[in-house]
Amino acid sequence: MLKILIPTLMLFPTIWLSPAKWLWTTSIAQSLVIALASLSWLKWSSETGWSSSNLYLATDPLSTPLLVLTCWLLPLMILASQNHLSPEPLNRQRTYISLLVSLQMFLILAFGATEIIMFYIMFEATLLPTLIIITRWGNQTERLNAGTYFLFYTLAGSLPLLVALLLMQNDSGTLSMFTLQYTQPLYLLTWGDKLWWAACLLAFLVKMPLYGVHLWLPKAHVEAPIAGSMILAAVLLKLGGYGMMRMMVMLDPLTKELAYPFIVLAMWGIIMTGSICLRQTDLKSLIAYSSVGHMGLVAGGILIQTPWGFTGAIILMIAHGLASSALFCLANTSYERTHSRTMLLARGMQMILPLMTTWWFMASLANLALPPLPNLMGELMIITSMFNWSYWTLILTGLGTLITASYSLYLFLMTQRGPLPSHIIALEPTHTREHLLIILHLIPIVLLILKPELMWGWCF
Amino acid sequence: MADYREAPLATRPKTLDPAEYFNLSLNQRRAEEERAGLRAQLKRQYQMQLNNPHRKELIEDPALTRWVYARTNPYNHFRATKKTSLLGGLFGVVPLFVLYYVLKTDRVWMR
Repeated sequence: MLKILIPTLMLFPTIWLSPAKWLWTTSIAQSLVIALASLSWLKWSSETGWSSSNLYLATDPLSTPLLVLTCWLLPLMILASQNHLSPEPLNRQRTYISLLVSLQMFLILAFGATEIIMFYIMFEATLLPTLIIITRWGNQTERLNAGTYFLFYTLAGSLPLLVALLLMQNDSGTLSMFTLQYTQPLYLLTWGDKLWWAACLLAFLVKMPLYGVHLWLPKAHVEAPIAGSMILAAVLLKLGGYGMMRMMVMLDPLTKELAYPFIVLAMWGIIMTGSICLRQTDLKSLIAYSSVGHMGLVAGGILIQTPWGFTGAIILMIAHGLASSALFCLANTSYERTHSRTMLLARGMQMILPLMTTWWFMASLANLALPPLPNLMGELMIITSMFNWSYWTLILTGLGTLITASYSLYLFLMTQRGPLPSHIIALEPTHTREHLLIILHLIPIVLLILKPELMWGWCF
Repeated sequence: MADYREAPLATRPKTLDPAEYFNLSLNQRRAEEERAGLRAQLKRQYQMQLNNPHRKELIEDPALTRWVYARTNPYNHFRATKKTSLLGGLFGVVPLFVLYYVLKTDRVWMR
């Protein structure tokens, strides 16, 4: 674990001491090396499930795919930000990359944490760099509103979690995940206990987000600069899912009765957000609402607490992280050229940027869960395990898959096909950096078809 | 504006065609000419921007801006009428209870 944390910490001197000409090159190179080194976590050599541990940090098959995803995204985020930061003064560029690196540190500590309180502190700590990125470097005046929504929704959801964790620490004396998995299930009978259950999960449901509390997400995604959108879509939402999966260990017998409203909200959310996607005019807003829908499916899979549900949830989280981030990068290439997110304005791009169309096509196919991509595998596992849980969910999840396919195709057709507006005359050709960025998103998705064991988690 | 004259080779709009407007009053004719003048001004503005060799960015369409703003900010002008309350309840509240009832009955009584 330290062999990843110390190089990440050393990215700070790299950023602040590199000469201006080499700033981006060195930071991307070092973060790529860290990403490649993080792949070594994928070899699970121990029988207990937890490996590479010290007193406070460990990795297990649940956290490892998410950790590798986080480490993989850092070079991609820095690569994506290079263009829109180039007019800024040097120290501000350094500050921006430092914010991304500090976010990375908090995320590695969060996913690797073994004490739940440490996970909570890191969970909250990730809010700050993201807030600064959104409110300082966003593009429209609505970014202040977006930052407020983002901060206060997540904080309001997670303060009850703090109380619940402290209560649990008082009761059972420890919050270490190593020991919690072996404690007796708690007999939770009173109304207070049910509130405790809800308090444990609310923070993660807001973060995921669940349909009823999802309002912060479209705002935050739309107003954030590209690196902010990437990290939000790919990793920060998965913090919610990961937290839920960790907490489920402790919450067991009550979940069977109390999970119904949240499963209902998640399922209905897939359909509602899918329908909203079909009506969107703003490109990033469409991708943001599609994230809500996919995460609703993940929430449903986690809340029914079956092995296949968990496995499908992790696979969908990883696949959605990569695909959604790729779509945001593609939307950013369009935004940097036309300075508008309106889909109606930047149509017919296939005529002028055909290779970019290939990447749009692949990313849209990933989003609509085309087999054999892992997006489908995750969705299918969740859908089948929910079908086993109750037959009626098939109507909702099937309809949701249909709507997902239609808005993903709508996204592709609106941006790539159709008549090119006649007044678009001066678009830059696609830079190699942009091609590289999107290939680095899409190749892992394709490679994961071949070895899904890396993502399955510990239920297999 | 009322002394709009079209370009030498352009055709006159239908409303100003002398052969068509025998049933229009003088006021209406003047209004039509004014409107044709305004349209010509807008077209001229667009054409100037379109053919400007130094232009690198997109031409801003104020109608598009207004439309996008309207689509993205519905809640500023939201009013709770009978129709909106019915729609909100039908799509946002009732399905949750129906689904809860269906799922709970299926799992508790049918299994």
